[in-house]
Amino acid sequence: MEDSSDGHLVTKAKQGDSEAFTELARRCQEKIYFTILALTKNQQDASDLAQETFMQAFKSLRSFRQRSSFYTWIYRIAVNMTLNFLKRRKREDAQEVLDESQSSGNGTEDSSLSPEGRSLKKELSEKLQSAIDSLPLTYRASFTLVVFQGMTHSQVARILGCSENTVSWRMHKARKMLQARLKSYLEGE
Amino acid sequence: MRCKKIEKWLSDRIDGELSKEKEGVLEDHLERCASCRSYAASIEKLQNEAVSLEKPEVSPSFWEGFASRLKADLTSFKQGKKEKRPLPLRWNWVWSGAALLAVVVVGLYLLFFQGQMPQEMYVFSLENSLSRIYQEIGDDPELEELFNSVIIASIGESLEDSEWRERPDFLENLLLWEDLTEEEMKFLESEIKKDVKT
Repeated sequence: MEDSSDGHLVTKAKQGDSEAFTELARRCQEKIYFTILALTKNQQDASDLAQETFMQAFKSLRSFRQRSSFYTWIYRIAVNMTLNFLKRRKREDAQEVLDESQSSGNGTEDSSLSPEGRSLKKELSEKLQSAIDSLPLTYRASFTLVVFQGMTHSQVARILGCSENTVSWRMHKARKMLQARLKSYLEGE
Repeated sequence: MRCKKIEKWLSDRIDGELSKEKEGVLEDHLERCASCRSYAASIEKLQNEAVSLEKPEVSPSFWEGFASRLKADLTSFKQGKKEKRPLPLRWNWVWSGAALLAVVVVGLYLLFFQGQMPQEMYVFSLENSLSRIYQEIGDDPELEELFNSVIIASIGESLEDSEWRERPDFLENLLLWEDLTEEEMKFLESEIKKDVKT
């Protein structure tokens, strides 16, 4: 019976077998796509970056020495590529980003905390999403991987190339920021 | 116990990263501190809300399209590789990093191997120097990371911002010379020799 383990597929892909690589990509494409989407907030960008991630991974397979799992490695490529993309976009569209954050960001200054006709829960979800989007990039990346992808601090540390302690601090700081921004909603029960 | 420390432990606990010993201290503190209890309740609520945020729906046809686009990209990449890019374009890119690579390799050589290699090898055997560096790095991820970051930062500094942007793959391909052919390595080596002589 054909060995279809990740390790075997990686070995075949390293030898240039694109079918094996396509299978590896298929196994993690959703997670990679949704991680990128959580960071970019744009489906087209997420789709393009996910494609670029897989292409980059294929091109760099020779340098993958399998000290970490294939998924950790490819997540690392995806997150780095996305963070670079966002930094570049921020530089290019500095003014536009500023305008967006001014219009959507600061929940603590919103005086209409309980508008009639909208459920508090729905409002909290929207505010939470907006607050997560306005976190500093590295915090948002840690938060996305830990909370939405269910990764451990150790896994995230390997992906982001930092220590576990740094991930732990970023998570703490991210929660503090979100809690401060959404205080009125979180305490309102 | 200071509440600031407890707040961080609460965050670790939500992520399942708090040790058993700390867990006990945390519980004792929470029993006595209303402010931390309130903070704990609010970040737990935050967590529950975050994990229940709706993911945008993606249709199966999206994934079919995604897979076929990837297949097509892989096929054209493989075909392109067979045809090989024209030499001057490849050399342009290699040239831009060559001088800096020389500086970094010399620096690393002095740092790691001074006195360990026969004098006649010096730095001019780039391939040998690199393989010694790889051996030295071994399985030490911190050393590898340091090595990669020094190289990438050096090359980045030498490039115009526009060139850097056109080559995002460069950032990801940390040990880029692993992909260079023997011919390219020899070329680099000869350019470094010229550089050092001048």
